[in-house]
Amino acid sequence: MSWSASNSVARIGRWSKTLAFRLTAGYAISGLLTVFFATAGLYLVLVTELERSTDLFLADKLNVLRTMLRERPNDLDALREEVELESAARRYEQFYIRLLDEKGTPLMETPGMAEQLDMPQSMAQPRARFDHAAAMGGRQGRPFRVISAAVPVGSPPEKSDIIQIAVDVSQKEELLARYRHWFAAIMLGTLAVFPVAGYQIARRGIRPVEEMATTARHISSSNLHERILPEGYPFELASLADTFNKMLDRLEDSFERISRFSADIAHDLRTPVNNIRGEAEVALARARTIEEYRDVLESCLEESVRLSDLIGDLLFLARAESPLTLLHRARIDVGELLSSIRDYYEASAAEGGVSLTASTGGGPVIAELDRQLIQRAVGNLVGNALAHTPPGGKVVLGANTEDSVIRIEVSDTGVGIPPDALPKVFDRFYRVDTSRSHASGGTGLGLAIVQSIMTLHKGHAEIASQLGQGTRVILHIPVSR
Amino acid sequence: MKILVIEDEIKTAKFLKRGLNEAGFVVDVASDGLQGLHLAREVDFDLLILDVMLPGLDGWGVLTRLRESGRRSLVLLLTARDAVHERVRGLELGADDYLVKPFAFSELLARIRSLLRRGPARPQEVIRMADLEIDLLRQRATRNGHRLDLTSKEFLLLTLLARRAGEVLSRTLIAEAVWDMNFDSDTNVVDVNVRRLRAKVDEPFPMKLIRTVRGAGYVMECEQ
Repeated sequence: MSWSASNSVARIGRWSKTLAFRLTAGYAISGLLTVFFATAGLYLVLVTELERSTDLFLADKLNVLRTMLRERPNDLDALREEVELESAARRYEQFYIRLLDEKGTPLMETPGMAEQLDMPQSMAQPRARFDHAAAMGGRQGRPFRVISAAVPVGSPPEKSDIIQIAVDVSQKEELLARYRHWFAAIMLGTLAVFPVAGYQIARRGIRPVEEMATTARHISSSNLHERILPEGYPFELASLADTFNKMLDRLEDSFERISRFSADIAHDLRTPVNNIRGEAEVALARARTIEEYRDVLESCLEESVRLSDLIGDLLFLARAESPLTLLHRARIDVGELLSSIRDYYEASAAEGGVSLTASTGGGPVIAELDRQLIQRAVGNLVGNALAHTPPGGKVVLGANTEDSVIRIEVSDTGVGIPPDALPKVFDRFYRVDTSRSHASGGTGLGLAIVQSIMTLHKGHAEIASQLGQGTRVILHIPVSR
Repeated sequence: MKILVIEDEIKTAKFLKRGLNEAGFVVDVASDGLQGLHLAREVDFDLLILDVMLPGLDGWGVLTRLRESGRRSLVLLLTARDAVHERVRGLELGADDYLVKPFAFSELLARIRSLLRRGPARPQEVIRMADLEIDLLRQRATRNGHRLDLTSKEFLLLTLLARRAGEVLSRTLIAEAVWDMNFDSDTNVVDVNVRRLRAKVDEPFPMKLIRTVRGAGYVMECEQ
């Protein structure tokens, strides 16, 4: 019992957080308020208008009597007719008139007035403003509106009498009461209809979002190619669908990259493993000389080294992508770093008939960088440049600082890279010339490593190349200061 | 010199035992952490080669308990995980060195030797190897009295090989020691440099001192 109660409370609590609930509540509350204020406003206008029409009627009557008293003060018959008969003939909106002299002694009154009304003595006092009407309760509970005024008698006036007029407004009160009933009924109806209508509107508005959610829910790695059809949605949601689809595009792209990467890893691992396995198997198939065994073992060792290098590079890339990776920044002289790299590669360059030079253009370039990583990045670039530059060519290392960005440049006069391959050279395992790179060694991860070292330094690598002319790679590294 | 290898992978333990035996060490093998810890407490080993991933009690546990028991044997950790914090953890727990799998056996041997002969290295002024003589003070090398015309890097490379004569030095180690390059890029850069050094040091003379160990690196030794 208490469990189910708390459960339903929880469910309501959850529901109260839904968009449908919020929209419904919003629609219902604003609708209710609108109807309430409109109806209440109309009611107030009605009250005022009814009062005004009663007051006009009273003023009218008063005016007639005033005129009679002034023009024909002695025509008592006419006066009596006006006071006693005219009102008696009425059934609804009955009114009563009383005429008093200056001292407040009644002279004449509509029959039955005393039973209906108890006009207090104070009302007999002459008033300055004759049009001052006031509400008053009758003796039998009927509502009245009364006016009282002092009017001059005769022309020129000899004295002034007091006229009291009361009109029964119970009809009007009833009208207002009926209005109030209708008001309540309308509010009740509104209360019943608006939340339902609001809920329907909200549901209709949210349905496309729910459809989108359903589509999104069943998209997984196996059907990443599915998309939300952008047609049939209102503009705002169409743009949401479009955004969502673009995200899926990117996801699908990264997913494809990852699975291609895994396939590449498997392939690149398979080759050396296959060599080791095959050579060992063949070697063991029959007895061989010591020399032959030695040769096989040495070859196996070479392949293992290749495997180790590949694993090392893969681990490096994986680590570089981890957000926990820290750079060991230290103040380094980039010019000095470049010349140490030149020293390292000098012999290889000379062997290949390529001139290798390093310079920092103008002044010294000094920055806080991770020495080992930058060394590795530039080393990879120089290694590539030397491997692809024919004898007689040049490889030039340079560095400069500009707007707190360090630019390290490695350019060669080598064979160049075809334009369609250029955007892909930083991809893992991408090899421009698949047939020859395996022989020349390297894991196919060199430039990917350069790229990830740049990412770690919040910089980027830029590559430009022209077939037969050469290649230029520029590392842009922002220096924090 | 007695070494204890604590390693559950049978093949690894086997090649470590054989290799270290051949290098002149007495080797015991334990195949899990508890057995290893027991042995290490009972017997006074000069050095422990300790794998981190072990059944029973892992390498960290062995190391911690060993240090608690007061044994000061040298410990070299082996691990398949190359993460900086692991390395730091190992060294904090009292390991003396750290090697990541896959490693070159020559590298392991070099580390073990340097751990065991730790202490102030005796300053050498002249290194002699057959008819090769390296004068470190004057930065000069001669063979059979003939002055060798070497660049400064070639001199460094020759000194490195001579200092650690008999040890196979991997290309990575050479690149790091001579050029301060801490990465394996094209290791054939080292090959080119060694070839150039050989042209000056070995080619003109009948006795060859620098030998290539295929797949492993280079070693300096007297033939015969």
